[in-house]
Amino acid sequence: MGNAEDTHHETTSDDPGLDGQAGDLLRMLVENLREYAILLVDTEGRVLTWNPAAERLKGYTAEEIIGQPIDVFYTEQDVQSGKPERELRVAAEEGRFEDEAWRVRKDGTRFWANVIFTALRDKEGTLRGFGKVTRDLTDRKQAEERILRQAQEIMEMAAVPVVEVWDGVVLVPLIGTLDSARTQQLMERLLQRVTDTASPVAVVDITGVPAIDTQTAQHLIETIKAVRLVGAEVVLTGVRPSIAQTLVHLSIDLANVVTRSSLSAGLRMAFDILGLTVRPMREP
Amino acid sequence: MSATSITIVKVRDVLMVTMPPDPDDATISALQENALQGMELHQARRLILDITAVDTVDSFFARTVSETAQMVALMGGRTIIAGMRPAVAITATQLGLSLRQVETALSVERALDMAEAEGRREARR
Repeated sequence: MGNAEDTHHETTSDDPGLDGQAGDLLRMLVENLREYAILLVDTEGRVLTWNPAAERLKGYTAEEIIGQPIDVFYTEQDVQSGKPERELRVAAEEGRFEDEAWRVRKDGTRFWANVIFTALRDKEGTLRGFGKVTRDLTDRKQAEERILRQAQEIMEMAAVPVVEVWDGVVLVPLIGTLDSARTQQLMERLLQRVTDTASPVAVVDITGVPAIDTQTAQHLIETIKAVRLVGAEVVLTGVRPSIAQTLVHLSIDLANVVTRSSLSAGLRMAFDILGLTVRPMREP
Repeated sequence: MSATSITIVKVRDVLMVTMPPDPDDATISALQENALQGMELHQARRLILDITAVDTVDSFFARTVSETAQMVALMGGRTIIAGMRPAVAITATQLGLSLRQVETALSVERALDMAEAEGRREARR
């Protein structure tokens, strides 16, 4: 195709293509490319050309948009903060500007766009205008946000499962270590469940908590205090020999907390607190 | 918010004090005054403090409630705090609200049941 000098032709504001066959093909590319809105913008920031993809993406026809400032594509906040001018200025100074941001269609709806401005200069280096290529990334962004949201939900649920195991008994089977962040989560979710269901007993099972140190014990004690304040009783279960030893060696006082070694013993305690007994249905 | 936004009702030998949402310092101070006077006036054995409507508390609230419970205990009564919201419970725990001399109930109904049950137990002794 020749070297860079040959293909660098002058452009005028109403005939932005190249000459000859290469020019025709390039024009066809711009017309047929579906994914990229390709337009030319003059030095004042007004639209010079339009392509079908741009109409499909942004909603304006060529007649409606040519001559309009590119401000119409930006959100109100962006226009007020001077974003369009800033982006053109950076493109003029550095040759290009790329950004991912919200853009607005003709009907007012938003889409997430990847935008590239390219400064167009003639042989003398005079700025003649800008090329603008916009790609609609809304689908990708929505998918990203959905995945993020689902991941967070899964993490929250897995982190602190709170189960209503009987009328008036809420169970929290803790698995893993209990750091401050999880304790906060534990407190919030447990307290919310206890008050929502008006459950007088919360069973917190620590069978799945591998090791207990002073910090973890403090967090547990804090949680138990908070549950007591809303009016429920706490039974701590799953206190295995190793945990019991650690608690005594660390002189951690769980004197006020009802504890049991197994979850079933804890449930029995919960029934006791509620004044319930379990009986066989028939005499053996 | 004036001190008259606290509601005080005598129900059998229980004094029920209902706190308004978002009480200011004057209201919180009035709580202590009115509760103690009410306990004496009506010879109530139980003070039920209904904080179902309270969304947030500060250290002044926590301290006043704690002190009131201790004062009620000195006067021979017991205090039941009813309806604490989860967010308030978390704040109160972080503020170190002491649970000495204080019982808690999920709701005003349960608080009344508790007071009644305790009263029956005491009468039997």
